[in-house]
Amino acid sequence: MNLKELYQEIILEHGKNPRNLRKTENFNKDAKGNNPLCGDNVHVYLKLNNQRKVEDISFEGSGCAISMASASIMTDLIKGKSDNEAKEIIDDFLGMIKENPELKSTILEEDDKTKLMCLSGVKQYPMRVKCATLSWHTLISAMEDDGKQVSTED
Amino acid sequence: MNIDNIKKEFPIFDEKIQNNDLVYLDSANSSQKPKVVIDRINEFYTKEFSNVGRSIHYLAVAATNLYENTRSSVQKYINAKDKNEIVFTKGATEALNLVANTLGQKYLNEGDEILLTELEHHSNYVPWHYLRKSKNIKINFAEINEEGEIPIENIEKKITPKTKVIAINHLSNVTGAILPIKEITELAHAKDIIVVVDGCQGAPHLKLDVQDLDCDFYAISCHKMYGPTGLGILYGKKKWLEELPPYQGGGGMIKEVKKDRITYGDLPNKYEAGTMATAQVIAFDKSIKFLESIGIENIIKHEKELIEYGQEILKKNNSVKIIGNPKNKGGVISFTIEGVHPHDIATILDEDGVAIRAGHHCCQILHDKLEIPASARASVGVYNTKSDFDQLNESINKCKKIFDLK
Repeated sequence: MNLKELYQEIILEHGKNPRNLRKTENFNKDAKGNNPLCGDNVHVYLKLNNQRKVEDISFEGSGCAISMASASIMTDLIKGKSDNEAKEIIDDFLGMIKENPELKSTILEEDDKTKLMCLSGVKQYPMRVKCATLSWHTLISAMEDDGKQVSTED
Repeated sequence: MNIDNIKKEFPIFDEKIQNNDLVYLDSANSSQKPKVVIDRINEFYTKEFSNVGRSIHYLAVAATNLYENTRSSVQKYINAKDKNEIVFTKGATEALNLVANTLGQKYLNEGDEILLTELEHHSNYVPWHYLRKSKNIKINFAEINEEGEIPIENIEKKITPKTKVIAINHLSNVTGAILPIKEITELAHAKDIIVVVDGCQGAPHLKLDVQDLDCDFYAISCHKMYGPTGLGILYGKKKWLEELPPYQGGGGMIKEVKKDRITYGDLPNKYEAGTMATAQVIAFDKSIKFLESIGIENIIKHEKELIEYGQEILKKNNSVKIIGNPKNKGGVISFTIEGVHPHDIATILDEDGVAIRAGHHCCQILHDKLEIPASARASVGVYNTKSDFDQLNESINKCKKIFDLK
């Protein structure tokens, strides 16, 4: 266990000053997610344009440093991507948190990969993995427009 | 028994937890177990095991006697009038579900009201919520005051001619407020209202006398009382347990089963369907003996000193905000740190071997009222010492350092 790996500068900074913590005007997709064990919740808003590109993405909610940083980094990276690219990034991130040692996607710049890899510290803290993945699962639900509320305990 | 040496009775404190001495401040969640209780479970399974109340062979009779012996010990410990007023359940949650379900079946009607408080644990709300759906029953909540207490006036205010049940906790698992159960019962009974007490936090920390409290039901969680998991107790006044229908059906709870009719067993069998948590019940006798050997007065005094010390030290720490300030308080200190989410606090404290709880502690109603998503909670048991709070404070300072707080 290593607290320094978990609470890296980038995480603390994004946790304190989350990017895109607001509600997208004219959003056309959204979903809510919650973690019933701790009461954390997140609401992700998306604006997909006619070319299936993420014109804007934002989130509202409250949570720990890990969950806020994860949502913040996620929205930063997904903005401007096509829906297929977004799906690839989501799969890559969830795969890395679950089992893969590295990110595989070629869509992301090295800088962005470094940011995402900062979240890999949660791998050593099984109880905190859900904090890092909640906003990502909620984004999937928003993109699929399935109207389901995401819960970490389903 | 010397309270300073009590920690030695608990083998877990000989263990290193991630290379640290364990500072266990999560007893409101579940207490650690003394060696006598752990050994008793082992001994029963090793030398004395049999199911109870059925077969007539030697082991079965001996096990049944041990099982019933715990019932008598519980009766004595909580000063119930009758041994048959003690029902074993799989936990306090099941005990509360039993009461809500059976009152719903026989006693409550559409439009009746149940009064809870904003301090209730989900297990003393969700079972009543079912009746909202199935019987169209209304639930009201008595409000907390500024100090995180429920003054009796706040209960009185919410009683209407339709109030049939008041279901309240004895000691809040978040603010630590001790509720004036005896006064509430007097008030309620004058209006023919049943009083159900969630005693999960009351039973480990307070002197219990159900006849003095005069409540109709009292639910106990054994694993919070230095006992095994998988076991709870429902105390119910005999008149109610006799009048209400059974909760679950199965073996052991019947008198006679025919193709066209079934008659149910007498108390307490009527409420103990199926094979019970036999080893846990038998080992729980050792938990009671353990509590008796220390003496509840000594426990109350010890824990009061701990909580006062903990509050004093945390109040001096900038950025720590303690939740609630009840005059009559026991067992727990819940707090927040401005700028650090409780989950981050818990993870950082854990690195030093300090075990606390973070979250809403199954009290979302209360956290909504306080307008916070979660809180951190340090709770005590007989084995805690003032140095545990020193370590808590030190680890909180580490937390503040990581998050760059002054």
